[in-house]
Amino acid sequence: MSREAAIEGIAAYFDSGDYVAELSERVAIPSESQKDDSQADLRRYLDEAIQPAFEAMEFSCEIFDNPVDGKGPVLLASRHEDDGLPTVLGYGHGDVVRGLEDQWLDGLNPWVTTQDGDKLYGRGTADNKGQHTINMAAIRQVLSVRGRLGFNCKFMVEMGEEAGSPGIFDVVEANLEKFAADVFIASDGPRVSPERPTIFLGARGCRNFDLVLKCRDGGHHSGNWGGLLTNPGIVLSHALKSIISPTGQILIKEWLPPPLSDAVREALADIEISGGDDAPEIDPVWGEPGLSPVEQVYAWNSFEVLTFRTGNPRQPVNAVPAEARAHCQLRFVAGTDRDNILPALRKHLDEHGFEAIAIKPPPPENAPDFNASATPPDDPWAAWTSEAMARTTGKKTAVIPSLGGSICNDLFNVTLGLPSIWIPHSYSACSQHAPNEHILLSEAREALTIMAGVYWDLGDGNTPGKKVH
Amino acid sequence: MGRDAAIDRALVYFDDEDGYWSDLARRVAIPTECQKPDRTPELYQYLEQEMRPAFEAMGYTCAVYDNPVDGLGPVLLATRMEDESLPTVLGYGHGDVVRGHEGRWAEGRDPWTLTRDGDRVYGRGTADNKAQHSVHMGALKAILDERGALGFNSKFMIETGEENGSKGLKEMVAAHKQDFAADIYFASDGPRVDMAEPNLTLGCRGARNFDLVVDMRDGGHHSGNWGGLLANPGVILGNAIATMADVNGKILVDGWRPPPISNSVRDALKDVKREGGDNAPEINPDWGEPGLTAPEKVYAWNTFEVLAFVTGNPDKPVNAVPPRAHANCQLRYVVGTDPDNIIPALRKHLDDQGFPMIAIHEPPPANDGVFAAARTDPDHPWAIWMKEAVRRSTGKPTAVLPNSGGSICNDVFQDVLGIPFVWMPLSYTGCSQHAPNEHILWSLTREGMGLVTGVYWDLGDPATAYRP
Repeated sequence: MSREAAIEGIAAYFDSGDYVAELSERVAIPSESQKDDSQADLRRYLDEAIQPAFEAMEFSCEIFDNPVDGKGPVLLASRHEDDGLPTVLGYGHGDVVRGLEDQWLDGLNPWVTTQDGDKLYGRGTADNKGQHTINMAAIRQVLSVRGRLGFNCKFMVEMGEEAGSPGIFDVVEANLEKFAADVFIASDGPRVSPERPTIFLGARGCRNFDLVLKCRDGGHHSGNWGGLLTNPGIVLSHALKSIISPTGQILIKEWLPPPLSDAVREALADIEISGGDDAPEIDPVWGEPGLSPVEQVYAWNSFEVLTFRTGNPRQPVNAVPAEARAHCQLRFVAGTDRDNILPALRKHLDEHGFEAIAIKPPPPENAPDFNASATPPDDPWAAWTSEAMARTTGKKTAVIPSLGGSICNDLFNVTLGLPSIWIPHSYSACSQHAPNEHILLSEAREALTIMAGVYWDLGDGNTPGKKVH
Repeated sequence: MGRDAAIDRALVYFDDEDGYWSDLARRVAIPTECQKPDRTPELYQYLEQEMRPAFEAMGYTCAVYDNPVDGLGPVLLATRMEDESLPTVLGYGHGDVVRGHEGRWAEGRDPWTLTRDGDRVYGRGTADNKAQHSVHMGALKAILDERGALGFNSKFMIETGEENGSKGLKEMVAAHKQDFAADIYFASDGPRVDMAEPNLTLGCRGARNFDLVVDMRDGGHHSGNWGGLLANPGVILGNAIATMADVNGKILVDGWRPPPISNSVRDALKDVKREGGDNAPEINPDWGEPGLTAPEKVYAWNTFEVLAFVTGNPDKPVNAVPPRAHANCQLRYVVGTDPDNIIPALRKHLDDQGFPMIAIHEPPPANDGVFAAARTDPDHPWAIWMKEAVRRSTGKPTAVLPNSGGSICNDVFQDVLGIPFVWMPLSYTGCSQHAPNEHILWSLTREGMGLVTGVYWDLGDPATAYRP
């Protein structure tokens, strides 16, 4: 009975093909939470893939219906060993973004995993099925080697993360005792680079919104009317230009966070972003002037035009279009005034003469609204986890103050008051949210050993103290 | 026998349900959408089934010329030569239409079925251009029936690719210059400036379409993981467009602005009122070149339009930095703008403004019409004669528009055939041409029938005939 045995066992689980097989069954369930008709598949994922797996590990499971009508349920699995032991809350999400079936590379199907070299393709492999499958397998491994975990374990799986985690705060707030724990350790998102084990202590927030300029009801012949009618595409382009420079610098000062602290700068100093071979080329002049790329994404805000449409781009005609619409997004780090994002935008547009441009809610299927939050880098759990990982890997763990992406970190960090530690198992070029989503198998194998080591050490008695309730 | 009797004949034909209405209904029913490659058979059908028999019944001989550009529509030329000493008038119409936009018409209307609601008669191609050349054909028939002859030589060409930018037309006419040779040109297309009053149009703006493309990478990348690291092509293209025209549409690209408006054009435009009817969109007085009147902006100046712009997938948005942004753009330009410099000037502008990554592409083939700007001098005898012929019907001075806002193949007549051209538009600006709900106003078309008949009568009447 030893740490090494747990790690060897989990490596054998991977090498036998059982990990890929287990993940493939989960990928096969098209749990697309952005679609209105996905209720049955969302529920099926919990009933068939998650609940039986936890029950086999002698967890008791409870499924909470989502208080928001038509949204996915939340499962909480609990295994209580002893009141004197620390309680660790885990998390995963079983829902995925749209399959985009017709856009994958030839021969790939989002619902059937396909291995090509080190890559395992399939919707949800990276986000998040592949990651919670790793953590669940590691818990099972520690349990089988030690005969018990040595800590109390709670694990929640939600089915609405890609739809903005609707209702999840209501579920947790109504059941604070059931979800209570001492520390939150879970996996989602990418490592800073495929070969560098990483922890994130928080996440950027995210607010989507639409800018709409409707000038009139229909198009009008550009010959007969050109010169007399406002072209909404031109005006909306000007509005965007006033919001963000051609090199990506945000120009609304209320949208910016306070300057980077020395601690954050230091934590990021030895980190290099590498997305692997297929990663897009980083644009070094993009974003806020004076910040390094790693600071842009882990410690600063970014504005995106996610979509823009005027006229009929598929069948352009010679007409002045009636309307232009930009679907936009602000990602922001803790310290940004979330409640002022839209009021500041309204004020900015008005001051720049764009009173006619309306700020509208984003389309419901892509309306994330996440707050930013982060655990301080000097929290003892951060150092403990980073060292536990290094014991397995022999590598220095990268510690990132804030994930570039957005997740309901504040649910754990703020609502439940827990140190929030994320151990990501993917990498940034995984095509998460796009066609051809995949994980790297070598990274998954290492992640399994990391998690087996972390869960082993959690039950070994030498953790930071229990939270005083 | 006389002018009024000929006009009466034309109006009897117009008012007869089995006359103009049924001719137009049959013509609208043929879906001659030249922007769809599989519609070429319908283009031939329109000429062979509708145009040739009608002209041959009037004693014209007809020839159909294949388009020299593969896959594009043919041209019919109908010729009736009465006497070599008489002047030859070239007429024109186009039998093709833009896409039907089925399913987007109000009241569930079918674009290929002529329907009437009050004074409005709906159908794709009613305004642009089937109703207009059908008026000319009905007018010529009335003259023949009344006078027994036209009293002039008539050639009438019907092309089927106008909505594709009349591709191939110039080359074809140049190759058969003798067949198309004429002394003067008279035809109808487009809208009146003021729906209450007829006007003549002596020129057109040119049009140059082009695409702007920012292609940064192959696919989208998660905006959380990559936001701040990857240039956003929508942001870049939006910023670039904002350097090409100011927030009120004033053109900012050097080389894209015409020379100052001449006094004669300014004078001609002083009398021009724009009245688009109830359906017309509201004009933004602050849009366009500062200091110009509305008619000057649209008839005597250049305009830049973003016809369409897309980045990401607006139908299925995801939280990803999009890989690509694409804008379909257009410059409409008046005589005096150097058409060969439009794209080079833009390239230089984009480079100077820090946008070397933006590529300028040719527009999609379905919307890549290139028209040159052209204009007949308002003092040309043919323009003066036409004004007088219309005045004989209305009893009022005839409004003359030196230039229309739209673009059409005037350069074929001006540069290839070397003849003066005059247009008498019969539609109105609120006609939803190029959009769903295209329609004509029945009363306006009826008035046009009388006016066009009067012009043809006067041309063949020795007392009023045109003698250049």
